[in-house]
Amino acid sequence: MSDHSIHMAMPDLVDPPTAPTVMSPRPVGKPRARFARLIPNTVVIVCGLFFVLPLLTLARFALQNVPTILLGSSTLFKKWSLSGLTKAFSDPGFWPALKLSLQLAVGTVVLTLGLLLPTAIWVHMRLPRARAFIEFLTVLPYMIPAIALVAGIFVIKPHARWFLNSDFSLIPFYVVLALPFTYRSLDAGLRAIDLRTLVDASRGLGAGWLTTLRTVIVPNLRAAILSASFLTGAVVIGEFTIADTLLKETLPRFQATFVGREPQAGYGINLLALLLTIGLFVILSVLTRKRDYKRKSFTRQLEKATRMTSDATS
Amino acid sequence: MTDIIVAEGGRTAGAPPSVHRRNWAWLGLVPFLAFLFLFLVVPAISVFTGALKDTDGHSSFDSMRAAFTGQNLDAFWFSVRFSAGSALVGVVIGTVLAYAAATATRPRWLRNLVTAFSGVAANMGGLPLAFAFLTLLGKQGVLTKIFKAAGWDLYGGDFGLGEVPGLIVVYSYFQIPLMVLITLPAIDGLKQSWREACANLGGTTWTYWRRVGLPVLAPSLLGGFLLLFANSFSAYATARILTQKSSIVPLRIAFYLGGDINAGEDAVGFALAAWMIIIMVVCMAIYWVARRRAERWRA
Repeated sequence: MSDHSIHMAMPDLVDPPTAPTVMSPRPVGKPRARFARLIPNTVVIVCGLFFVLPLLTLARFALQNVPTILLGSSTLFKKWSLSGLTKAFSDPGFWPALKLSLQLAVGTVVLTLGLLLPTAIWVHMRLPRARAFIEFLTVLPYMIPAIALVAGIFVIKPHARWFLNSDFSLIPFYVVLALPFTYRSLDAGLRAIDLRTLVDASRGLGAGWLTTLRTVIVPNLRAAILSASFLTGAVVIGEFTIADTLLKETLPRFQATFVGREPQAGYGINLLALLLTIGLFVILSVLTRKRDYKRKSFTRQLEKATRMTSDATS
Repeated sequence: MTDIIVAEGGRTAGAPPSVHRRNWAWLGLVPFLAFLFLFLVVPAISVFTGALKDTDGHSSFDSMRAAFTGQNLDAFWFSVRFSAGSALVGVVIGTVLAYAAATATRPRWLRNLVTAFSGVAANMGGLPLAFAFLTLLGKQGVLTKIFKAAGWDLYGGDFGLGEVPGLIVVYSYFQIPLMVLITLPAIDGLKQSWREACANLGGTTWTYWRRVGLPVLAPSLLGGFLLLFANSFSAYATARILTQKSSIVPLRIAFYLGGDINAGEDAVGFALAAWMIIIMVVCMAIYWVARRRAERWRA
C-alpha cells in the first residue's frame, strides 16, 4: 500500500516493488571491484544534479529579481525576497482560478469516491470474477490520452453545449483521467482487509448496509480512501490539457498566462504549484506508511485471535 | 449420466437462486459502466466517427489520410523522433539508475530515496517542469549563462527547448524516474546465483551482462521503451509551454480544435487524435505481452 500508492504514474503498468535483495555484488577475489561501481555511481550523481538543478533555478527566478544577464559574483546575493511568491495573490485572475481548481478537485474526489467505492466493494463481495475485467477498464484512460479525449469532447460538443458550457463539466472527465490511480488504490485497500468476514460480522450483528459501510468498511479503508483522494487532488490541480483546450480558467491556465504578464511572480506561482504537488505526495506516503503498519499489526492480531478460536472449537 | 442428472437436480433443490443471483450481481456494475460509457467510450468512439467524415458529412477516409500529409506528417515525424529519443534516454539511464539504487550498499538510504523521488518525479510533467527548464536552459537560463561564460554558446546552433534535443532533455525529467519504477522489480529479479554461476564457468562481468543479465531484462526494457514512448507521444502541457509552433502531434490536435481553420478541416484534427489512439493501443498491447514475458523470471 505505502509503496505503490506513491508510484502514481501508470500504477497498473508498474510492478509492485519487491523487497531489496541482499546483494554481495563483488565476486570474491576480483580486484576490479573498485571500478565496478564507477558507471552506476556517476549516473547517480549526474541524475541527482539533473533532478535538483531545474528546481533550484526555478526558485532563483521566483525569489531573486536580478536578470540573468546581470547575474554574477557581485549580484549573486542581491535582491532576494519572497515578494515573487506572494505577488500572484493580488492578481485579479488568481483567486477565481484557484477557487475553480479547488472546486473541481473537491467535486472530482466526491464523484470518484461515490462511484468507485461502491463498485470496488461490490466487485470484491459479489463479483470476484469480474475483477480482471474491471481492472482492464480502469487502465483504458492510458490508451485514450487527455488530448484524444478532448478531441472526442469536441465532436460531441454541438450536441451537449448545455452540459459542456459549465465549468463543472470537467469533473467527470477528471474522474476518468484519475481512474487508473484511484481504482487501484481502493482495490489494494480492499485486498488488504478481510472484507467478507467484516461485512458478515457487521450484518450478523444487525447492522444495515449503510451502517456497515459507514462504521466498518470506510474506517478500515481510511488509508486507501485518503491516498485515492490525494492522488485525485494532485491530478486535478495540475491538469492542463483539457482545461486549456476547452478554455476553462483553472489554476494551471492561470499559471501559463501569468508568466507572460509578470515573469518573476509567474515563476513564483509555478514554484508554489510544484511544491504543493510534492507536498501532497510526501503527506500521502507518510500517511499510508503509518496506516499500513497499524493495519498489519491489526491483521496479525486478528489472525492470532482466529487461530485461538479455531483451536478452541476443534 | 445418471450422476449428472442427480447432481443437477440436487443443486436446483438445494440452492435454487445461485445461478440467478450471479446474473443479478452484474447489475451492481451498471452505474460504473454507464459512467465509463458516457465519459470515456463515447468520446473515444466520437473521435473515430468525427475522423471518418468528410466536409459534407459523408463517411470517407480522406481525413485519416490527410492526417499524414504536409505539416501533419511533419508533426508525426517530429513527435516520433523526440518520443523515441526520450524513451531511449529514459530506458538507458533509468535502468542504470535503478541498477545503481538496487545494488548500492554504501548509503543505505539511497534506494529508498531513488524510489520515493521517482514516484514523485514520474508525475512531474506539466507546466512547472517546463518553466523550471526555461530558467535552467532557456535563452536566459542560468546554465546557459554558465556555459557561455565557459566559452560554449548553447544557442549558437539551432538548439532550443522546443526542438528535438531540448524536448528530450526536458522529458527525461519524468521519463527516467518512470523507467526506474518499471525496471526496479526486474533488476531485483536478477539472482546473485546467476552471476556466481557465470563467474564459475569462467565468465567475466561483460559475459554475464551479454549472455544472462540483458537477455533476462530484455522484455522489461522493451516494455519500458514502449511505455515511455507512449507517455512522451501523448504529453501536452510541457511541450505547450516550450514551443510556440504546433510542431508535435498533441499540439497539432489542439491547433485544429482551436477552430482557427477552414470549414470541414476539423475532421483532420479528429483524424490525428484517432491515429494517436491507435498508436497508444498498439504500444500498450505490445507492452502487456512484453510484461508477461518479463514475469517469467520472477518466482
